[in-house]
This record gives sequence, structure tokens and C-alpha cells, in this order.
Amino acid sequence: MPDGKTLSAEEFVVQMKGITKVYPNGVAANQGVDFNLRRGEIHALMGENGAGKSTLMKMLFGLEQPTSGEIIVNGEKLELTSPSVAIAHGIGMVHQHFMLVPSLSVAENMVLGMVPRKSGIFIDRAKAIEITREYSEKFNLKVEPEAKVVDIPVGMKQKVEILKALVRGARILIMDEPTAVLTSQETAELFVELKNLKNQGYTIVFISHKLNEIMEITDRLTIMRNGRSMGVYNTCDVTKEDISRLMVGRDVVLSVQKDKAVPGDTVLKIRDLEYVNEWHKKMLDKVSFDVRKGEILGIAGVEGNGQKELVDMLFNFNVPNSGTVTVNGVNILGMPQRKIRELGVSLVPEDRMLYGIAAGASIEENVISDRASEKHLNNGPLFNMKAIHEEADRLIKEYTVLCKSRSQHVGMLSGGNIQKVVVAREFSNDPVLILADQPTRGIDVGATEFIRKKLVELSRSGIAVLLVSADLNEVMELSDSLIVMHNGQIAAYFEDTAGLTDEIMGEYMLGLKKQTEEEVRRACHD
Amino acid sequence: MTKRRQMRFTIIRSLVAILIALLVATILIFISAAGATFQDKLEATREALKQMLAGPLFRFSKKSGTAFEAKRLADILAAMIPTIFTGLSVCVMFSANQFNLGAEGGIMLGAFITAMAAIYMPLFAGLHPLVAVLLGGAVVAVVMLLPALLKTKLNVSEMVCSLMLNYIIMYVIKFLMNTYLADKSRGQIMSYAFRETANIPPIINNSVFSGAKLTWGFVIAILAVILCGLFMYRSRWGYAIRMIGINQDFAKYSGMKVGGVIVLSQLLGGFLAGAGGGIEMLGRYTNFSWSALPGYGWTGITIAILAGNNPYMVPLAAFFMAYLSKGCDLMATYAKVPAQLIDIVQGVIFLFFAAEQFLSGYRQKLVVKSAQEEIEMAKAQKEGI
Repeated sequence: MPDGKTLSAEEFVVQMKGITKVYPNGVAANQGVDFNLRRGEIHALMGENGAGKSTLMKMLFGLEQPTSGEIIVNGEKLELTSPSVAIAHGIGMVHQHFMLVPSLSVAENMVLGMVPRKSGIFIDRAKAIEITREYSEKFNLKVEPEAKVVDIPVGMKQKVEILKALVRGARILIMDEPTAVLTSQETAELFVELKNLKNQGYTIVFISHKLNEIMEITDRLTIMRNGRSMGVYNTCDVTKEDISRLMVGRDVVLSVQKDKAVPGDTVLKIRDLEYVNEWHKKMLDKVSFDVRKGEILGIAGVEGNGQKELVDMLFNFNVPNSGTVTVNGVNILGMPQRKIRELGVSLVPEDRMLYGIAAGASIEENVISDRASEKHLNNGPLFNMKAIHEEADRLIKEYTVLCKSRSQHVGMLSGGNIQKVVVAREFSNDPVLILADQPTRGIDVGATEFIRKKLVELSRSGIAVLLVSADLNEVMELSDSLIVMHNGQIAAYFEDTAGLTDEIMGEYMLGLKKQTEEEVRRACHD
Repeated sequence: MTKRRQMRFTIIRSLVAILIALLVATILIFISAAGATFQDKLEATREALKQMLAGPLFRFSKKSGTAFEAKRLADILAAMIPTIFTGLSVCVMFSANQFNLGAEGGIMLGAFITAMAAIYMPLFAGLHPLVAVLLGGAVVAVVMLLPALLKTKLNVSEMVCSLMLNYIIMYVIKFLMNTYLADKSRGQIMSYAFRETANIPPIINNSVFSGAKLTWGFVIAILAVILCGLFMYRSRWGYAIRMIGINQDFAKYSGMKVGGVIVLSQLLGGFLAGAGGGIEMLGRYTNFSWSALPGYGWTGITIAILAGNNPYMVPLAAFFMAYLSKGCDLMATYAKVPAQLIDIVQGVIFLFFAAEQFLSGYRQKLVVKSAQEEIEMAKAQKEGI
């Protein structure tokens, strides 16, 4: 409040008190979080991926229910059991991935679920278009009511989403990373519209980790880290550096014993990798670096800054627009995964349920997926079941996979044990290069420590390791040298991770600082 | 969930589905049963159910009482021959998550090609049926390349493509028969007689089985089941097919040749359907006279779903379907209930099997139980350390 007096409860449109959310798999996504919104403010909710922002907002929108804590909207304590309850209380959400029917027109999408009828039977299209026009003009959000959603640009889709929420009577709008998909022009336009909404008394929650945007548009901000709130601040009272420090920080330091790396020859060599995605956004911009034998090269960065695209290129899930990638001198771009594996490249994929395992198959079937055709597991046309059982039992033991037997379905294991199955396979096929993409995301402490130790052990035995992780703890602890990515570029390269602090990292990760080209060039060991 | 618990769930689910289907059947029989009074109808229903459920194995006569009838059992086993093959065919194709419905056209084409080889290829006994059946299987395998390649290269729906293919095959065969191949001396459209050398002989030729057509084809079918089972569960190709069926992205990431394996599964499925048609043709008929799709392919789909795509379960499912079919035939003959009822019973069973959520509450209970046990095990292990 401008005059600094204490706020009475009526001045908050939303109060979330002591919210704790524990998911069925045991992950505590929110722990005693307090969050409140004043009427007519734009409030930023900030934090790294996995900090618990989405979970908190899902609870406000009724998509998830808190394990404990209470939610008070307009002074009324509510049980938000579903989005329809939230909508009825004036809460609307604009999802990052639009929830629109592409084959229907803008107007039809607008009235979906509340269709105006002619004589109670026929859809009143004219009325739908009229409603759309009316709201579009009222809030100055320009859309074409008769255009099909599939044909309109991303920026307009977002406006349709906002209008959809407004038509349903939303007074509080939750916007999940609204600028992630927008061009800078569209972003500027959106900000004008959001300010306009604010002036009309609407309250907006703005989820983002882009500092410039936050500083430009928000009134207050709540920062989250590791499922806890790090406090509420007036945007005008804090600097970008403060935010960076609060957002990117380490709480617990698990230390992994590690000798100094003695890097050998270059294994993975990446030069001038460029990639523009289907929405014409440059995701990789002149990325060049090397990974050498016996070292762990870490890639840090806020998610969405090109790390995913980079890994995709390295395992042929995508091809770049230009640039080269070689493994021990062999070009691997566009090479089938089978051939890449034959070169000794292993991948611990980011999305383990999609790529890492076949959930409906047994542990045994999952650990042999990359070597099922190898001689030692086959007897002529048939499998050598004895050898396969031995292999599976050996890996289960070595990687301490907690299970009833090798024939148990992988989908029935816990997250940590599923990941152990993945690494058991990927680490045991005599790799020369291991690509570890978010290897410990969302898994328990025991499994995390085990996998980190294994990575260090393998690198010291002469394997090149590329570690991509959004977990600052992890990259700083494990890496011998470190790259920070921002906006598809290498923002910084640190030859040695000793002496690096969270603050320095945060500044590069959030784009406040950037090394010179010469400094970044040191990542190439020619 | 452990394999055993999974298995228990599958079996219980199957039994419940069958029970519900029978219950629905009973109600329908009661409605369509002859009789003026409630009592009469009830009596007729009882008679019909008796014929349907026990009739396939027992003969009921007022004079000599109830007696086991080996001939009827032989009939059922004989009826299983083509459906075991189509069941296996569908198992292999569905395992790769390809909803190829071409087993129906496949079995007809296989039968046709085998028949032609049996008529026009002069070979000696023993070799002749072998060559004819293999040829039938091979031709269908090649034809299955069409939906397989269209799917892997152009992403055309294999379901639509194979479904249409069935009718193309049927009409091409009809055209060839009508125009070129029919024996004009016969009163209806049928081919010339097969050479005697091509015949697949019956297993036993004694009086007990007179009239039944249980040929060596049955033994071949059982052999095919074992080979298929080994292929699917004990070979790297079957493994690849199953992994692709479970998670194609995982298979690709693991370095499997996804496109090639999908094509392989369709080729093999085509071969099995074709060979099944050939064996059926040479065992049961003396000339080719099919003028419409025989329906074995559709039954094969039901069988594969009942068997959960597991080749080893196919004979069981095929037996169940053949038993049901025979029971309904008997019911129609002796109890004056329309034989079409079997389609309704089949439909109801199919419905409950296809409904993935059916009994999901019970499944959830089993999953939770497993999870709890796992947690306790973890605890015990921790304490042990």
C-alpha cells in the first residue's frame, strides 16, 4: 500500500495461507506457502522450474487440491474442487499451452461450454460473434471473431484465451509464462493490454522468470524456491540482482567426493550450432564447445534457453539449421539413434517416462533395450535367456533398483527406481560419451546421490560426460567446467567451477551479464 | 504390480466379462424363446442354455441319457484351425500397436492362392500342400506390405487401409473366379477340384471321428502357436515388436529400427493369416468356392483381444469362441433360438474387453496393494541396513 499502513483482510482478493501440497508420489511441491493478491495489481510469481509456482497456481484454479492450508477468495473460505468452481468465483487461467479447439472459429471457442442458442436448439453463431466483438472492444483485445483458431497467430490465440476467461466472468487472471511463446512486439502489445485490464480493476498473476518483464509490468512479486515462499516484495523496492539472488540459490549442499579431472582428448565437438524453431524463434545461436575424456561439462541455465534443443540435436531427435556435431571425429547429425549408440553415446533423457522406459514392460526388458541384438544375449535366432536374466540381475544389484524381481513392470516402480533402471542401461553399455539430461529431476535424495556418484565415477574412469541440469546444486557440484546458457547462446564458460558463487551464476542465467566472445571461445579446446 | 497379480486381474476380468455376456444372452434367449406362458418360456430357456453351454461336448437323449460326444469335440477343434491362425496373425500385428484389420482379407487370399496352387501345380503328395500353403502365406505377406509401407512411409492409417484392402481382395478374387477360374460345368461358382496330392489328411481315420474334419492342420496350428510364442517372447525381433507396441519413442531412442520392425510385424501377420487360409482350404474343401469374406479374420481380432495379444493364450480363446459358436448352432437346431444370438453374445464380450476402464476400480486396489507392499519392503530393507 502506498501509505504503508497494515492491510485488512478485505483488501486482499485472494489469500492463500500455509499451503502445503504433497503429491501421491511423495514430492512436497509446496511447503507452508503464503500467497496473497491485492485487488487491481499485477503480481509476479517467480521461481525456477520445480520451485512450486505451477502447483500453487493449479490449486488456486482448482486443478489440484492442497494437502493442508486454506484459500480465501473475496473474504470467503473456499474449497476449490475443480476449475469450474474457481471460474464461478471469478478466477481464470491462461495456460502456457493454449486450450483452444483449432478447427473452430474464435467466436466458437469463446462460447464453448456456454453456447448461445436460437430457439433453444440451434447454435446462435451471430450471437457468439457479437459477444466476442463486445468483449474484444471493451477490453481492447483485438481478435477476428470469424477466423479459425488454427489460422491465427500465437499472439491472437493468447488474446482469445484471455477473452475466454473474461467472458466467463474472471476478475482474477492467472497467466502462466504468457510471454514464453510471444515475439517482442507481441509481448509489448500484451503488456499494454494487461495494464489496461489492471486499470479496470482486474487482478493479474504473472508467472515468469524474465527479469526485465517483471520489472516493467508488475507491482509486487512473490519469489518461490524449493516449494517455499522466499517473501513478497514491492517491485520498485528490489533490484534485479536481489531477485536473482533470491530465486537462484542453494539450500542444501550434497557433497560428492570428486578428484580433480584430468581431461583427455576431445570426444564431443560442437561448432556453430544454430536452430530456429517452428515459431521462428532462435533457440540455438552459434553454440560451440567441446567435451573431453574424463571430464564432466555442465550446462546450467533456466529452462527454455536452448538446452532441450541442444540435447535433441545430439541424439537426432531434431536437426539444426547449421553447424556441426562430431563424436570422436564422426559427424552424428541426422544419424539414426542406433548408429549414434554404436559410436558409444548414451543418453539419460530428460523425459524418462516418454523416452527412458517402456512402462508396460518388465525391468529386464527395459535394461536390455539397447543391446537386445548383441551376440552375447542371443543363441542363434532365440534369446539366451540365462544370459539376459544374469545381465538384468547384475544391473538391478549394481544399481540397487528396489523391486520384487526382474519381471516386475517398470511403470510400477517409484520415480527414483525408474531412473535407476534408465541409468543402469545407459551407464553399462561401455559408453565413451554420456549425455545426462536432468538426470535427477524429481527423484528422491537416495537415488539422486547414487546417480551423481556414478556420474563422477564414470567420468574419472575416462568417459566424457555432458551434464545438462536446471538444478544449480547439481551442475555446480558435479561439473569440472561449466557453461551457462541464456537465450540460445553460451552466456558464460567457466573452466573451473571452484570459487563460483550462486550470485555469479544467477546473473549469467538470468541474462544480467554475458561473457565476451573470446571468453566463451575457451569452451572449444582446439 | 507383480506379474502374478497382473495375471490374476486379467483372468478375473475375462471371467466377469464372459459371465456378464452370458447373463445378457440368457435374457435375450428368454425373450426370443418359444412358449405361451412364463413357465414354458423358462423351460425353453433352460433347454437352450443347456444346449449352448453343455451341448458342444454332450449329447442329451431321453433314451440313453447324457453322453460325452467325441465327434462334437472334434468339430470344435477343427473349427479352431483357421481362427488360431487369424488370432496369431492379429496378435503379432496388434503387438506392434498396429491396428491392422487385414487378417480377414488375408485368410481369404491365402485360401485362394493355396487353392490355385493345389489345382494348377503338379507336385507329389507331402510336398504339394507344404508348397501351396507357404505360397498362400507368402503372397498375403507381400500384400500386407501395402498398409505397412503406407503407414511407415506416409503415415496412412493402417486401420482404414487394411479394412479397405479386405474388400479389394474379396472382389478381385470374385472377379477372377467368375471370369477365368470357375469350373463352368458346375451349377455355382466354384473352382476345379484340387489335385489329390494337395490334400491335408485327417489325424485319425477311425469311426469315432467319421464326419469330423480334424486334420493335421490342427497340429500345425498348435505348432504355429508355439513358434509364435517363442518368436514374440524369446527372440530379439518379437521383443522389438512388443517394445514398439508399448512405447514407440522408447524403442526409437533405444536404437531399434522402428519402421523396419513395424513392417516385419505386418508381413508376419499377413503370412500367418494366409497360411491359415491355405491350411483350412486344403483340409476341409476339395475346391475353392468362397464368394465372400469368411469371417475368420474378425473372429481372430476377438481372439487376439481375449488372449491379450499373447500367442500362448490364443488356442484357449479360439476354443472358447469355437465352443460358443457350436453351442449356439446346437441351440438353434434343438431349442429353436436364432443362431444370430452368438453375434450378440460375442459383441457383449468384446465390449467388456475393449472397455479398458472395466473393473478399473479393482485394478486400482491391486495397484495400491502392490505399492504399499513395496513401501514396506523398502522400509524393511532400510532397517536391515
